[in-house]
Amino acid sequence: MAAPGAGGVIVSRVPAGDRVRRLLALIPWVTANSPVAVDDVCRRFGISRSALLADLEVLPFVGVPPYTPDTMIDVDIDDDVIEMRLAAPFDRPLRLTAPQALALIAAGHSIRAVPGADPGDPLQRALAKVAAAMGVDPDRVHVDLGDVERSTLDALSTAASDRRSVEIGYFTYGRDEHSQRVVDPLRLYADRGNWYLAGWCHRSTDVRVFRLDRIDSVRMLDQTFEPRPDASTLAVFRPSDTDPRVTLDLDASARWVIEQYPCESVDELADGAVRVRMAITARPWLERLLVRLGPAASVVDADTDLATAGVDAARRILAVYGVPGSSEPAK
Amino acid sequence: MQKLERLLNLTAVLLHSGRPMSASELRERVPGYPDSDVAFHRAFERDKDDLREMGVPLELEEIPGADPPLDGYRIPRARYYLPDPGLEPEELAALQLAASAVQLDGVEGVEALWKLGGSASDPAAATIPTVAAIPTDPNLSPLFEAVSRRAIARFAYRDEERTVHPYRIGFQRGHWYMRGFDLGRDAVRLYRIDRIDGTVEVGSPNAFEVSDDDDADPNLVSEGWQLGVEPPVRCVLRVDASHVPAAMGHLDEGAVIETLPDGSMLVELVVTNRYAFRGLVLTYLDHAEIIEPQELRDELVEWLRQVPGVSS
Repeated sequence: MAAPGAGGVIVSRVPAGDRVRRLLALIPWVTANSPVAVDDVCRRFGISRSALLADLEVLPFVGVPPYTPDTMIDVDIDDDVIEMRLAAPFDRPLRLTAPQALALIAAGHSIRAVPGADPGDPLQRALAKVAAAMGVDPDRVHVDLGDVERSTLDALSTAASDRRSVEIGYFTYGRDEHSQRVVDPLRLYADRGNWYLAGWCHRSTDVRVFRLDRIDSVRMLDQTFEPRPDASTLAVFRPSDTDPRVTLDLDASARWVIEQYPCESVDELADGAVRVRMAITARPWLERLLVRLGPAASVVDADTDLATAGVDAARRILAVYGVPGSSEPAK
Repeated sequence: MQKLERLLNLTAVLLHSGRPMSASELRERVPGYPDSDVAFHRAFERDKDDLREMGVPLELEEIPGADPPLDGYRIPRARYYLPDPGLEPEELAALQLAASAVQLDGVEGVEALWKLGGSASDPAAATIPTVAAIPTDPNLSPLFEAVSRRAIARFAYRDEERTVHPYRIGFQRGHWYMRGFDLGRDAVRLYRIDRIDGTVEVGSPNAFEVSDDDDADPNLVSEGWQLGVEPPVRCVLRVDASHVPAAMGHLDEGAVIETLPDGSMLVELVVTNRYAFRGLVLTYLDHAEIIEPQELRDELVEWLRQVPGVSS
């Protein structure tokens, strides 16, 4: 056997730990399925030919004391076929770690909501088998990617793959308005409990992100569209430098705001209170936050007309309840 | 290259022997360690960390009969080997598809697939773009272990130490939750995992039976206003026509009492958490109105008067 790295094989720069992970899974499979084609192993384990050959070169030096030939892994590569024997300590792969088992179960549970990706019974059987091997009850884990109408998801998914424009009815939470828009659906995805559609909005003439649970109608149009540059890097919330900012003092009881919404700065005040600075892309959003927080939040500083957002909204709502004088402007 | 070889040999030797072996014995048996004591110990420490990080169950236990007493390292075969789940090729392909579409942040899903036999089919044909990424939490994995092994979990939550029989975990509305029986409170409770302070401590397995209190409903989280423990109050809410589609995202069809001529809608809710209910109603700003009971109307008006600046 040649010295490590010799024989024209490029020495892999992948850390030893990562190569060990792969080998601990690959050795049992190749041993059990010998002889196997080099290409098949490369495809199965997502490894390049040169990296595989470099890793296999090490195996004849692996075994157990007294390290005589009959205790070392025996590897033969001939005509692009690998034959592996005597890998006794590695005749089964390493167990799945808890996060790996959880990831598979979570993926399996949520896949039914993903359009075009429901492999049905084989997946159910696979999950049951993996869970049994791990001694886990898969029904003790539940994953819900977000509330969504299956018909909305299916319609948009079909439109995206057929490149058909759609007309959607959409409720813009930030601006508090309902509108009809023509959209070229580019990508559907779930993130942190909600489903989103990224699409080219004809009204805004820009790429926009829509929350699926705020889409109340989808109408397939005859017009088609050309694919656009990848929309996958779109963030859901993108404040710009020109968006107005507000600074709020929040009581300890309102600290949940920090966890829930993006804050540009958070400074601790006395008694658990905090001072936060946030970008505001739409006034109704701030109105809602301030009326919900009531006495627990006060505006310290605000750009444009945002300083009165809470008072204005509270007075408008009080007017609905017929509270006298409440709709009059401040002072 | 030496390190790759050494890690494999270290694992092979420990798996093969099945008994605890001291560091000096391993130094003798496993080729490739440096000669000097200092360099050996440094390399051996790193190797142990690497193996544990991969999930190799490397345990420390006393070597039987050693005098003076000495600790040794052991890899119990039963905890190392993955029992063969016996997956058919189509089942492996289905798992692969699921794992590529939905990912748990920070988990190498592909390594799990290697352990199960690698990609069953042409990767290009069997992958769809990732459509969902689920966030993770440092305490998620310990709690998953506790749930699957029926082990007691101890942790701090809302400034109190909790001892819990964890029944199930779930991801809903963007957060991971755990439901379990809180021994201190003698009742089933729901915990948001990212609000747990510090680290969850997991006890020994098979410590409890899941009680009958745990209903089969996989939905851990109800709508906020149903979550409380206050005496139920029946409320009628009017929602403007423009906001009906948004409101129906939170409500059952059965909640609708009637649609008024102007398109607005009367809906009925049973409220057990007034705080959460107020949050819901105020979400609609001046496009919703509590019709009854009068008591909740009055409470809302009183609340709005406390918004800084309103009563000045």
